Amino acid sequence: MSAAPQALREALVALLPRLRRFARALARDVHDADDLVQIAVERALTRSGQLRPDAPLSSWMFGIVRNAWLDELRARGRRARVFAPEESAERVGDASQGGHAEALAVQDALARLPEEQCEAVALVLIEGFSYKEAAHIMEVPIGTLTSRLARGREALQEMLDESGGARR
Amino acid sequence: MSYSEETLMAYADGELDPAARAALEAAMAADPGLAQRVARHQALRARLRAALDPVLDEPLPQRLLESVRGAAAPRPAAKVIPLKRPAAPRWSWPQLGALAASLVLGALLGPLVLHPPAGGGAVITRAGEMLAGGALARALTEELASNRTPGSPVEIGVSFRARDGGYCRSFQLREEKALAGVACREHDAWRLEVLAQSPPQPPAAGGYRPAATALPPSVARTLDELRAGEALDASAEAAARAHGWER
Repeated sequence: MSAAPQALREALVALLPRLRRFARALARDVHDADDLVQIAVERALTRSGQLRPDAPLSSWMFGIVRNAWLDELRARGRRARVFAPEESAERVGDASQGGHAEALAVQDALARLPEEQCEAVALVLIEGFSYKEAAHIMEVPIGTLTSRLARGREALQEMLDESGGARR
Repeated sequence: MSYSEETLMAYADGELDPAARAALEAAMAADPGLAQRVARHQALRARLRAALDPVLDEPLPQRLLESVRGAAAPRPAAKVIPLKRPAAPRWSWPQLGALAASLVLGALLGPLVLHPPAGGGAVITRAGEMLAGGALARALTEELASNRTPGSPVEIGVSFRARDGGYCRSFQLREEKALAGVACREHDAWRLEVLAQSPPQPPAAGGYRPAATALPPSVARTLDELRAGEALDASAEAAARAHGWER
């Protein structure tokens, strides 16, 4: 079986920036997010034979990241994900420059969403997947995706309105 | 007509069909309150992107690059395309300069693969092989290097015959991440021989980049190794297309 052909490796390299963005939305912490991407990449390379016929590489890969994240959450317990605000501000602040307050407010709000809403929001609103693709990645019916998305959106709006929408 | 929040979200997400979209846009034009509700959903999208997009510009951590490229998985030599093929003479092709100059290293993979336009992703897989899909497959089949299609997301670089007699074509994808590769016709599909990200180029005015940029080394090497002879000229290329790229 073709274990990780060169073209797949190159395609994965090209996908890395977006996989990191998705992982950051899920895990928020820079190092956790990169750990997640690394685990997902390693899984992908050992499972390249499982790529479904004619499936877009991206859906497959985002699905692997998402599943790796769920495994991680199960392993560490959901509560570990909620950082104290000071701590999170420091961590995120280390890694990004400019637009701090705004980016922090958004990332904090995302982190407070229930997991299934967070991933729906990240896949559709940030990664730009269609409802159909996002539902496929999350392995849920489209109706479930859209209701998670709607709830996630409303919760985000509420949190961000509170935190001061005009702040940049 | 009153609109549910879900419908307005679907509009903001580009998920409404054309008729529903047109109806909603007409309603928005007549009802500022409705337009405001839609704007709220659009603003949230923009805010999320603005907060997370900077991640795209961060340098890739070395450990991730090593995971992808390194020895994380068994890699039989026979599958390493650029290394396996017999060495070919280096380019002596006088048009190389012209080729390099005409290759517009735009950018890409992300968007084409990630949010495939109507036609599906640029890279698909079948039986463990990487094949061109969607807009890329279309461009490889239909577009001519000698007569570029304006506005196409794909730039065909050069068409040539491989040593086994089949047709291959180099291409570049435009978008925010430059991606270049070589695809060879195999039955009803374009098999990707190599796919690599182009080195970052400073953006030039007008959205085009200086054309004198190099192909990613892995792509240049594969081109070198696959190519049996001269690149096809305009008429040979058109003839190959007319015959469905069959050898």
